[in-house]
Amino acid sequence: MDENKSITDQNINKNSEVSDSRRSFFKRFGLYGAAAAAGGAAIYSGHSYEENKPNHDMVKVLTADNKLVEVPRSQIRDMKVDVSRLTELGREGLPGRRFVMVIDLAKCRNARKCIQACQGAHHLRPYEYHINTLTMQESANTAPYYMPKPCQHCDNPPCVAVCPVDATFKRQDGIVLIDNERCIGCRFCVAACPYSARMFHWEEPLFVEGDKGKSYNIELNVPQKKGTVSKCLFSADRLREGKLPYCVSSCPNGVYYFGDENQDAVTNGTTKETVRLSELLKVNGGYHLMPELGTKPRVYYLPPKNRLFEVTEEKEKNAENV
Amino acid sequence: MKRSYLVLFIIFLTAGRLFAQEWVVPAENASKRSPFAFKDSVRQAGAALYMTNCKSCHGDPGKNNTVKLVPPPPDPASAQMQKNSDGDMFYKLTVGRGPMPSFKNTLSATDIWRIISFIRSFNDKYVQELAPSLAPGSTLEQVKFLIGIIKETNQVQVKISSLKDKVRQPVANAEVKLFAKRYFGNLMIDEAHTSDNQGVVLFKFPANLPGDKKGFVQLLVKPTDETAFGEAMADTTLSIGVATYRPPLNEQRALWNVVQKTPIWLLLTYTFSVLAVWGLIIYVLLQVRAIYKSGSEDKKV
Repeated sequence: MDENKSITDQNINKNSEVSDSRRSFFKRFGLYGAAAAAGGAAIYSGHSYEENKPNHDMVKVLTADNKLVEVPRSQIRDMKVDVSRLTELGREGLPGRRFVMVIDLAKCRNARKCIQACQGAHHLRPYEYHINTLTMQESANTAPYYMPKPCQHCDNPPCVAVCPVDATFKRQDGIVLIDNERCIGCRFCVAACPYSARMFHWEEPLFVEGDKGKSYNIELNVPQKKGTVSKCLFSADRLREGKLPYCVSSCPNGVYYFGDENQDAVTNGTTKETVRLSELLKVNGGYHLMPELGTKPRVYYLPPKNRLFEVTEEKEKNAENV
Repeated sequence: MKRSYLVLFIIFLTAGRLFAQEWVVPAENASKRSPFAFKDSVRQAGAALYMTNCKSCHGDPGKNNTVKLVPPPPDPASAQMQKNSDGDMFYKLTVGRGPMPSFKNTLSATDIWRIISFIRSFNDKYVQELAPSLAPGSTLEQVKFLIGIIKETNQVQVKISSLKDKVRQPVANAEVKLFAKRYFGNLMIDEAHTSDNQGVVLFKFPANLPGDKKGFVQLLVKPTDETAFGEAMADTTLSIGVATYRPPLNEQRALWNVVQKTPIWLLLTYTFSVLAVWGLIIYVLLQVRAIYKSGSEDKKV
């Protein structure tokens, strides 16, 4: 009996609990409902305010044509450089130009600033050269002189003729470039070049870690690629901006002149003085390297006459060591 | 061998003596002075300019680490450098001599004065003299250059005028230079000329200077003395050059060019040889088939 009683007691207790919870449920429902409605309204009003706010969180952006504009931050997308488009542009070259370099041997003192600037721009090691200064002596009784030697950017380039994969090519403005993405590393071009202007990346290029993920620039050959050929590019990326090549503008001695043959004018990299190309070559007796090969180089040399600097033994050693 | 050393030695001696000759600065240039005071901000700007333009030869001032040349470039802190007047330095930096390059095209007059202010900061005894300020009325306001061409004589005419008492008047005795704009810099045309009483200057234009496809050349006029004229200059495009069009360098058919620009002879030779080889193979196969056929016909009979 006792047991039965206790059971009924429990039932009663249960019933009272149920009625309790129902009541409290309605109570809570009213409270939560009101809170939810208020919260929803707040969120909605905030949302509509954000929607209709005239200029929220604007970012100043400089457009390609040099205009300062404002753009909402939400509209900004990360831009990926279109490598294939860059390569296309790099293959076309600059229309209406014929770039030409003049090197005045009388002024070179082997300061090697051109080499350093070039190696810095193209991520090369101190012993990897796109341009180098050589110590020259024609015969035993003649005085030695320094000769900077970049790629000659020939109008009849033997290196381009032998390339089996169209990786190296000549552009309309006369520059010979290499597409490291196409190069298979056969080194036919290295063998074909009579000026030894090309180099091969035997080892992992300098800054291989830092350059990881960078988009390839065909006009700079950066990032460099192991197992491919690279060489002087006449700083094609700088020419596009109307600036003189890295080597030309870093020379402290006024050795280099660079310009457009179509305009018959070349600009000295040190003094920034612009002179007539035809007159400069005529007055100073400009010449090509190995003209008998018929390669038609785009680099002229002015003879080392009335030299400003003598070749010293100490420097000669330097030139040999590096 | 000994002889060549001797020759080299003599060359060194003569070269040394040649350059050791006093660098004479014309009196009117030597007396030139800076138009502004050498304040700290000016000196700082000068230091930055010195680092990029001068340091590679002249080294760090006071540390005697100049490059070993003949003659040696003087250290800016040395007495040899400091004995120059401000005008001497301005002239030497502008004009240059031998291994010392001219900075007239790379640095503005203001920048050169800034570098001089930096050099002077290594001389405790230096007291700056300022240029006598220009007399009131002598500065020209709103200078205008009008550029025109005289086709018959192939000359460029520049008319210079300025605003004086709110009336436009010709500027006489002003020295100006004419430049043709090129891709990397400005090519000076003729030489600097001085305007006559009508404010007119005539420049002889070379007959063979290439222009664009239609012969247009962009011309610039600049005054020689920038301090009197401010930054005034003119910029016009005129049809005075030789119309120049040269085809792209990769247009012709050549062995080195892309597939589409293969030389005709190579194209023909290659096509014919491929056709000939394949033709021979096909001919042989046809003959084999004919022999086989004639054999099987014989069996039937």
